[in-house]
Amino acid sequence: MKIQRNQASAPQHEVRIKIAGLGGAGCNVLDRLLLDGMPDADLVAINTDAQALAGSVLSQKVQLGRGTTRGLGAGGDPELGYAAAEESLSDLRSAIEGAQIVFLCVGLGGGTGSGGARILASLAREQKALVVTFATLPFGFEGKRRRAQADEALAAVQRYSDVVIHFENDRMGDAVAPLAGIQEAFVSADQTLSQSIRALASLVRQRGLVSVGFDEIVTALRGATESGAHCVFGYGEAAGDNRAHDALAAALKNPLMDKGRMLEDARNLLVNVAGGPSMTLNEVQILMEELNRHISDQTRLLFGAAVNPALGQRMSVTILSALTSDAPALVEVVPRIVPRAESAPVAREVAPRIPEPAPLAPAPAPEIAAEAEPPPVVALREVAPEAAPAPEPVSLFPEATPEPAQPAPSAKPVQKSKPVQAKQEQMQFEPVTRGRFEKSEPTIVDGQDLDVPTFLRRNVKVK
Amino acid sequence: MGRDQIVVGLEIGTSKVCVVVGETRGDGTIRILGVGQAPSRGVRKGEIVDFETAGKCIREALVDAEEKSDVMIGSVYLGVTGSHIYGFNNRGAVSIPEERDEICEEDFEDVQASAREVSIPAPNMFVHSILQHYYVDGQDGVLNPIGMCGRKLEADFHIIHGVATRIKNSVRCVKEVGPEVLDVVFNPLAAAQVVLDQNQKGLGAIVVDMGGGTTDYIIYVDGAVKQSGSLAIGGDHITNDISLGLRIPMAKAERLKVEEGSVILGNSRPGETITLKDETGFAGKEIEREMLNTIIHCRVRETFELLKKQLDEETFLHFLGAGMLLTGGCSLLKGINHLAEEVLGLPVHLTHAQTVSGLTSAFENPQFSTAIGLIKYAEAMQPDRPRGLFDRIRRRIPFLGLW
Repeated sequence: MKIQRNQASAPQHEVRIKIAGLGGAGCNVLDRLLLDGMPDADLVAINTDAQALAGSVLSQKVQLGRGTTRGLGAGGDPELGYAAAEESLSDLRSAIEGAQIVFLCVGLGGGTGSGGARILASLAREQKALVVTFATLPFGFEGKRRRAQADEALAAVQRYSDVVIHFENDRMGDAVAPLAGIQEAFVSADQTLSQSIRALASLVRQRGLVSVGFDEIVTALRGATESGAHCVFGYGEAAGDNRAHDALAAALKNPLMDKGRMLEDARNLLVNVAGGPSMTLNEVQILMEELNRHISDQTRLLFGAAVNPALGQRMSVTILSALTSDAPALVEVVPRIVPRAESAPVAREVAPRIPEPAPLAPAPAPEIAAEAEPPPVVALREVAPEAAPAPEPVSLFPEATPEPAQPAPSAKPVQKSKPVQAKQEQMQFEPVTRGRFEKSEPTIVDGQDLDVPTFLRRNVKVK
Repeated sequence: MGRDQIVVGLEIGTSKVCVVVGETRGDGTIRILGVGQAPSRGVRKGEIVDFETAGKCIREALVDAEEKSDVMIGSVYLGVTGSHIYGFNNRGAVSIPEERDEICEEDFEDVQASAREVSIPAPNMFVHSILQHYYVDGQDGVLNPIGMCGRKLEADFHIIHGVATRIKNSVRCVKEVGPEVLDVVFNPLAAAQVVLDQNQKGLGAIVVDMGGGTTDYIIYVDGAVKQSGSLAIGGDHITNDISLGLRIPMAKAERLKVEEGSVILGNSRPGETITLKDETGFAGKEIEREMLNTIIHCRVRETFELLKKQLDEETFLHFLGAGMLLTGGCSLLKGINHLAEEVLGLPVHLTHAQTVSGLTSAFENPQFSTAIGLIKYAEAMQPDRPRGLFDRIRRRIPFLGLW
């Protein structure tokens, strides 16, 4: 919490960010990050597989579980990954030592990533660092078991992270095109991830005209920790006369954005505009106006702007948000309000995962007690014993900090969900158009006017 | 007239008026001498809606054909289509009089007349009655009963009828331009003449002619026409859908369909766009490829589904050994054969006029299948060339065996 305050109020103080790649996928992303150029970043590759680790271009490397896996991979077994991480606890601790913010980059579903992520996250938290986890969930074709492992690991790592940004690989795979090779699909997943890490890191670091605080980032991504939710991220850079427009277009071109259509459903949207000294206010205005066309009126816009001489003539825009699938607001609000009572520290862990809003006033006592019983056991088993006590109290603060602002943004989406539906229904009430067949004899088969475009009659979404 | 005869086929399509001048030879082959065409106006869904404009287009096409083939066109075979044209099967039967026990030619006329003694809607007229099979005293599979002994002659006919005034309108429209109309032919019947060979007719096949305004089909089973009909959906609808869906002018939509369109979904990169250049009166636009394909896909799939629904009432769809032959302008759409295969569950071949020689560019284009088919049809009718529209019916009977 203290650190966070520092972030917001004293940006002149350089934040120490550590970026850790865990497991094969995590290391791949970091490799890409380094190769694409990530100046003055502190990167560390962590893996069980010594061979894979040797192939990494990163300079700082940590090999997990020398005894447990003997330098081989965890073989897709989270238990093994967990054991390996546990074995190398001190190595891990020293790897992230001194960091104020730890970016943990991990591909969930396999052994090392799924097993080790929660340990690393809890260690980071133990050191009072903010933990931002970037996770990818496996492709559908990787099988249900892997998926289940990933979901379990995601739930575990969420407990120790302040923010979890997770991407569905499937979505990114969709993005590449069905024709693309599998390698291309994986590479594009890596790319999206590394771009978002880079963007977030520079957001945290930048000294902005209108600066974006870490709490705002947390707000923008709130909701991403729920199941069914996913993150939306877009980054665009452009130079030239029309750079404001081009940069935004490039950001929206990110497959996760679906050309900006996704943004309509976002509740909180973080936008950061950066440019060289030549960036004009007018350009920022143009860009934001254009972006506003893609978002709904209810969206809370978190805006940041910065001048970065390194960008030269270019202008860049970063868009970050979390989309929740259905009725997410309730899941958000209720647990946060309940545990604020500070009376049941155990319940805090459990509450965010209770899907029903039911336990509000008198009811919670028995329910929480009943629900609360098993998780601590799980937690004890899952988390390294010495780490267990530490994370729990800490876990409260970062999540609780933005609370005052909480009711406002989270109440809005509830109201918002209705207008969106009404908008979709309107489509059907549009007058039917027959175009050039307007005046000709209609062709009616089974009560359908075949002159009306098929996609209209079948409600196939076009546009 | 010599053995080599000039025959002209005229098809008034929704997208184009097409005139094919061919030479039929004694040995039954056809040589294409020239093709004239003009973009069609005043025609919707295969039927003339603007008499005067359509007339101009026909004249244009005829003049074009005359120039290209160096032939004066005095008479034509006219292809007709439209959703008002229906086909059905009926059996006619006659008893052979006591005093003669041999079946002779006049019995044919009687049996056909008897097959036609069914009620078709009052405003309709017969376009074709095509012989399927004879039965003599209940004996099946008689190919030519002339000279056979028997007491009772029965015959199955496929009867095609349509609204008289609409067919007459087409004929009148042509006549006003100049040439005599020797015969009207239902389009898919004409197309089948050049698309199918005897073997395929025997195996069983469905010919689907997807044109600009209509999708016509005809089914052959055991060498005989079993079913035919017309669906008033065609390429025009696809263009119209694109125009409405993407909000671009019809002309742009048409070009987009022809040059970029495909019915296969999921084959383009997300966000892959086609840029329409801006020009006078058009602001330019980026079209998402997947969106274009989705619109086309929806329409074409629906068309095949409707077709399947019509055919499902008949059980022989699975016995069509030669599968489906797809022709007409729409068959040029990318991937359409795969979609047709998926929907109808039949092997689908894209095809064009086969049994002709001459201008390769003409007969290899599926857009001309019907017009070329008209010539083949005429060639088959030749020995007894009918003089007028209503005269021909009686005269055709001895040659019905061809179908």
